[in-house]
Amino acid sequence: MEVNEFINQNLIKMNLESQTKDQVIKEMVEIMAENEIITDKEEVIAKAMEREAKGTTGVGKGVAIPHVKSNAVKKPAVAFGRSQAGIDYGSMDKKPSYLFFLITVPEDSHDQHLKLLAQLSRNLVHDDFRDKLLDAKDETEIMSILETL
Amino acid sequence: MKKIVAVTSCPTGIAHTYMASESLEESAKEMNIKMKVETQGSVGVENELTEQDIKEADAVIIAADTNVSKERFANKYIVEVAVADAINDAESLINKALEGAEKGQTTQINNDLYNQVSQEKSKRKESRTGAYKHLMTGVSFMLPFVVAGGLSIALSFVFGINAAQEEGTLAAALMQIGSGSAFALMVPILAGYIAYSIADRPGIAPGMIGGMLASSIGAGFLGGIIAGFLAGYLTQWLKNHIKLPQTLQGLMPILILPFLSSLIVGLLMIYLIGPPVQGIMNGLTNWLQGLTEANAVILGLILGAMMAFDMGGPVNKAAYTFGVGLLGSNIYGPMAAIMAAGMTPPLGLALATVLFKSRFTRQEIEAGKPAWFMGISFITEGAIPFAAADPFRVIPSTMTGSAVTGALSMLFGVGLKAPHGGIFVLPIPNVVTNLGFYALAIIIGTIVTALMLRILKPKLTK
Repeated sequence: MEVNEFINQNLIKMNLESQTKDQVIKEMVEIMAENEIITDKEEVIAKAMEREAKGTTGVGKGVAIPHVKSNAVKKPAVAFGRSQAGIDYGSMDKKPSYLFFLITVPEDSHDQHLKLLAQLSRNLVHDDFRDKLLDAKDETEIMSILETL
Repeated sequence: MKKIVAVTSCPTGIAHTYMASESLEESAKEMNIKMKVETQGSVGVENELTEQDIKEADAVIIAADTNVSKERFANKYIVEVAVADAINDAESLINKALEGAEKGQTTQINNDLYNQVSQEKSKRKESRTGAYKHLMTGVSFMLPFVVAGGLSIALSFVFGINAAQEEGTLAAALMQIGSGSAFALMVPILAGYIAYSIADRPGIAPGMIGGMLASSIGAGFLGGIIAGFLAGYLTQWLKNHIKLPQTLQGLMPILILPFLSSLIVGLLMIYLIGPPVQGIMNGLTNWLQGLTEANAVILGLILGAMMAFDMGGPVNKAAYTFGVGLLGSNIYGPMAAIMAAGMTPPLGLALATVLFKSRFTRQEIEAGKPAWFMGISFITEGAIPFAAADPFRVIPSTMTGSAVTGALSMLFGVGLKAPHGGIFVLPIPNVVTNLGFYALAIIIGTIVTALMLRILKPKLTK
């Protein structure tokens, strides 16, 4: 199981245009739809919002990890987006978020995929991993950072 | 060196569970404290805490947005927070845990605060998972009983279709295992684990008792599903609404909850569910008697659909009893239609799991294999796990296939003189008339059932 099985350069957006939480979720879901990861945009947005309602996925430290488990997802995937200005995501530390990972998995996902996503989540806790993502110049560099997982 | 054990868990279990775990481990490393974190995420439980771990630990941290069972941490100081708190500030959590432990505090597992928290959480859990999850829990626990029972019964037929009636024979023993025990437990297990999924452990007793009553009043597995949900939600409600002084708290799980909920569920099953079930059965029996003169094909169609509707419930039993009754009057056509229609539900499902794999879970595909044997042995129960898991799609499919088979069997003028046995009666001379057409009717019904499932069941995305 390799990281490039669920993320590639097309799923990376270096400069998100959104300014609000709702917008950024839609923008990220749009990336998934363009890459034909998901079959039903509205369903995925609704599921993501539902998860946010239970507690924000803006975990602080400038990171937000909206995630969706749904039958409208064809295969496990991660979309990465970065906002230069920062977006008020209702984060736990009340600070703006810069790094966004939208994680989508089908209802009955293979354990291998979930383990890899778990690994990604673990790394996001580390300052240097986040700093590298913030400093990366382009999609290629993001990919090479993620490949160190 | 101080040691802390922790559990992290979040609703979807994809990201936060692991971030919290990592945070706790990192902070502990910096603070020079031993830390073991159990993650309860989408992959299941990982890095599980052993009894030894818990014994050695000075304190416990639970960082979860789901219901984490605390029973195993009795007599430890527990710091319980939302999963997010562990991600943001693991260090102060660890400090808080150590402080509490140093003062020699322990957390009373049964105090009011704990109850309130756990009630809040179970409420959230309920809205999150929904009825479907509960149903699936019940079905997955029931499945092995269906398989073990069905195959034992099928095996008993190998010794001759009436061999089990001879007391003391191996065939009788197999029948006792399969029909008398495994199948008798099937509906109670289904109901018990539906209730367990809703109300945790206190749900099991009222659920199983309600399921047992569903069996004995003849309500079949559909009655069992009703009993399970009734027991689960009732127990949950009682848990939330009975307020006792703290000194009497201990009586809740061992005396008050099981007794009260079983009593209420039991009475409801007997007085509320029982009479209509009996009424349905009597009404249908009378109605069928009036149909004896009706068009044979239509009768076959109706009997077939009835056989597949509740597979052992009142509708099925009315049809079956009707057919067996007619044998006494030397009328053999309806019996043939009934047995054929009772064979096609498991056969059709087995065929569908082979042809249309993308529409079934891995567990269902596995369950499809023994369903072949149950189908050819006229053990309609083989279809119950599928029907219970997805009643609104599976039952119409099996009913259509069985109705077609019943109608064809009557159309071809097939007669059957034995009331059970499936394929095992076919080679016995003079039991079946028109054997070739009988097989054809069963095969067509099986294919129709599978095709209906193809149409009605949506694809599962892998």
